[in-house]
Amino acid sequence: MAISQEEHLKELSKGYRFDWKDEARPVFEPKRGLSEQVVEEISSLKSEPDWMRKRRVKALKHFEARPMPWWGADLSGIDFDNIYYFIRSTEKQATTWEDLPDDIRGTWDKLGIPEAEKKYLGGVSAQYESEVVYHKIKGELESMGVLFTDMDSAVRDYPDLVKEYFGTLIPPNDNKFAALNTAVWSGGSFIYVPPGVHVEIPLQAYFRINAENMGQFERTLIIADEGSYVHYVEGCSAPIYTSDSLHSAVVEIKAMKGARVRYTTIQNWSTNVYNLVTKRAAAYEDAVMEWVDGNIGSKVTMKYPSIYLLGRGARGEVLSVAFAGKGMHTDAGGKAIHAAPYTTSVINSKSVSKDGGRTGYRGLVRVEPDAHHAKSTVRCDALILDEESRSDTYPYIEVEDETAALGHEATVSKVGDDQLFYLMSRGLSEAEATAMIVNGFIEPITRELPMEYAVELNRLIELQMEGSVG
Amino acid sequence: MASVSTETFDERALEALPEGARSTAPQRRQALELFRSMPVPSQETEEWRYTDLSEFELDFEPFADGGTAEDLNRHGLLAAAAISGERAGLQIQRNGTVLSTQRSGALDDRNAWFGSIDEALETRRELVEPHLHTLVPADRTKFTALHAAFRTGGTFLHVPRDMAMQLPIQTLTYLDADGAAIFPHTLIVVEPGSDVTFIDRYASPDLERAFSNAIVEIFVGEGAQVRYASIQEWGNGVTHLGIQRATVGRDATFRSLNIGFGASLARAEAETVLAEPGGFSEMLGVFFADGEQHFDHRSIQDHVAPNCTSDLLYKGALRDHSRAVYSGWVHVRPDAQKTNAMQTSRNIVLSEHAKADAIPNLEIEANDVRCGHAASVGPVDEDAIFYLTSRGIPRDEAERLIVSGFFQEVLDRVKIEEVREGAEQAIQDELERSG
Repeated sequence: MAISQEEHLKELSKGYRFDWKDEARPVFEPKRGLSEQVVEEISSLKSEPDWMRKRRVKALKHFEARPMPWWGADLSGIDFDNIYYFIRSTEKQATTWEDLPDDIRGTWDKLGIPEAEKKYLGGVSAQYESEVVYHKIKGELESMGVLFTDMDSAVRDYPDLVKEYFGTLIPPNDNKFAALNTAVWSGGSFIYVPPGVHVEIPLQAYFRINAENMGQFERTLIIADEGSYVHYVEGCSAPIYTSDSLHSAVVEIKAMKGARVRYTTIQNWSTNVYNLVTKRAAAYEDAVMEWVDGNIGSKVTMKYPSIYLLGRGARGEVLSVAFAGKGMHTDAGGKAIHAAPYTTSVINSKSVSKDGGRTGYRGLVRVEPDAHHAKSTVRCDALILDEESRSDTYPYIEVEDETAALGHEATVSKVGDDQLFYLMSRGLSEAEATAMIVNGFIEPITRELPMEYAVELNRLIELQMEGSVG
Repeated sequence: MASVSTETFDERALEALPEGARSTAPQRRQALELFRSMPVPSQETEEWRYTDLSEFELDFEPFADGGTAEDLNRHGLLAAAAISGERAGLQIQRNGTVLSTQRSGALDDRNAWFGSIDEALETRRELVEPHLHTLVPADRTKFTALHAAFRTGGTFLHVPRDMAMQLPIQTLTYLDADGAAIFPHTLIVVEPGSDVTFIDRYASPDLERAFSNAIVEIFVGEGAQVRYASIQEWGNGVTHLGIQRATVGRDATFRSLNIGFGASLARAEAETVLAEPGGFSEMLGVFFADGEQHFDHRSIQDHVAPNCTSDLLYKGALRDHSRAVYSGWVHVRPDAQKTNAMQTSRNIVLSEHAKADAIPNLEIEANDVRCGHAASVGPVDEDAIFYLTSRGIPRDEAERLIVSGFFQEVLDRVKIEEVREGAEQAIQDELERSG
């Protein structure tokens, strides 16, 4: 293929409006590749306690010992030796945007984060490369005892809580990429909500990759104590490069008795980012756990947010929207493990593929032997917009209790000709009509998002549709 | 992983196969080599995830003689064939030997051919060879290789162009040799424009231990209509590994039905390839598992050509400590535009320790398609029970009514009347036993 780098970039960036790069000014010279020395160095740069350092080194061994996954997307393009595992871009974390270096602040301004913070967020954490560069939580939340900080600070400031929960839901050897994260993790959020506290406005984290071949490995731990409520929202983006970056996060959530946690992701990585994330939540008695998972970008995504329903009456919900355009493979889905009686789960997935993109739903609903009267519904719908694109559905249903009632349904189709005809006869162009139909198709999910995010998601879909038809 | 003892399946055993196996001796030796070189399918692979054969000892008697036609009446074989209507043809195989082939005038007069594969290889090799082991090749798994090496007897049906057979053709494969392995093979070639109904029945008494390794290959020619039913009623003790694969020609219709009641462990794979435009495939499945039975049902609807329709419906009930897995694939290849494919698996769980898994998969590479799947696992609907019991029907009777109603949705679609009635009866018997 004789296309120049420039053309290649142009092709890649069509419609992607997060494609700007700041000139990199890291505060120490980063190195490519992974070794025990790199892991030790990360730990020592963070002046971590010994137990965390040991855990990292042990996890590195797990990572090295485990084979690459043989299933799912093609990961053969990841060059682990070419990746930067840690880049520090500021000396210290800022609590006002003005304190940040100009170019980094410029990035956040362009992303609209400071403005959003003013309008409707209870707290913001902004991660740039490996570390959180800005962090702020509203005073009234702090006074209610809500802890919201970056993970590195949490290891320092709340060692007991971190030690008690870190890695308990996703142990270091859970899978190859969880092992990698445990070895080189940096940044991410730590949240603790005290019993009975309702955090009425969302807390947000935004993850930005700026450097080429960056590896971002944030680590998030959320503990919602009895009867509390919190909504956490994350977004992400990166500039477009010709070689690949890797994002491999680990997110662990505990929803204690009667608590409710909603975790919303709008993933919009550029199409040279491998996004391989492990997310898992435990829901105890009468707790509610909700994953709202929008995957719009990345080169490859493999992510199946899961919920372990561990207490009687616990409820879990996964809403998943996946989009795959040219050169993208989005393999997303959800898992619900029913391990207690009277637990319920709902998984709803909507996916759209176009321009040769490939979307997949991969999921598991499992009912353990004593989880009597469990109920679960899974529904997957896929739209394929052209001849080159592809959609796969791999649902697993495993039932070990006779009182459990499980259902799964899926459909795959194209945009209906009669729908298009109707809209076009009202004067819409084919592209506008298609975008409108696609927005309608994912509407059951967008209506679950906070307004600003629903608008954002619709806009992203419209951008992706632009110039697509005719 | 446990090593599998393969001592009984060696060159000496190949040499000892009856006369009919001679003409294919080179292919058999090749297949034996393959068998030796291939690994036992591991649970690490997706295909074998739910069936563990690592402890399965392959020390069966490679060939068990079934005797001669005189043995037909002695063993109640005709009763086991459970025939309630007329047949265009009937072939009975006991263990490794075909005992009898009956052909009615319809088969004799018009150049259709029906008989054992061994005999067909002698007399019309040119018809058999281009088809045998082409849909299910010997090198597919270790077990298909073993099949290719040790197959004996078997059934071959060839129906020429534009021939409508009014009556069904049937086989019975009867197994009563404890410790034996048998390798039933059905090869059906239906030329364009013909119309055929075919029933394969497998039956045995309860045995200590036996192994059935079966393959069915079906070629449905352009515009042809084929109805195929497989009725598996092995006794306890039998391990059954069966693969059934059909290829459907242009504008042809293929309707298959898989009924599974028997065997200790049964893995039944049913696959249809929609190879030419305009093809239609219906795949129905009915099973009832009890005791310690383990069923592993797998299906593939492979849409290669455009404008084809496929519809799959599997329904099963589970009782006692039984376990059933359904996993299915719908593949829609890039050229298969205007595909209409549906896949449904319904499981009803009747007792506390039974387990059911369902994995209906879709892989869609064309956009102008309608594809869907649905799967469910659950108990008998309590509301329905309540309704019936409130009308004075005792609870166990109500449950029986609901379960028969559950199966009726599939059985109503079975076109071969006596097969439908037989299945209804078998389900009633199963339900009464539980009563």
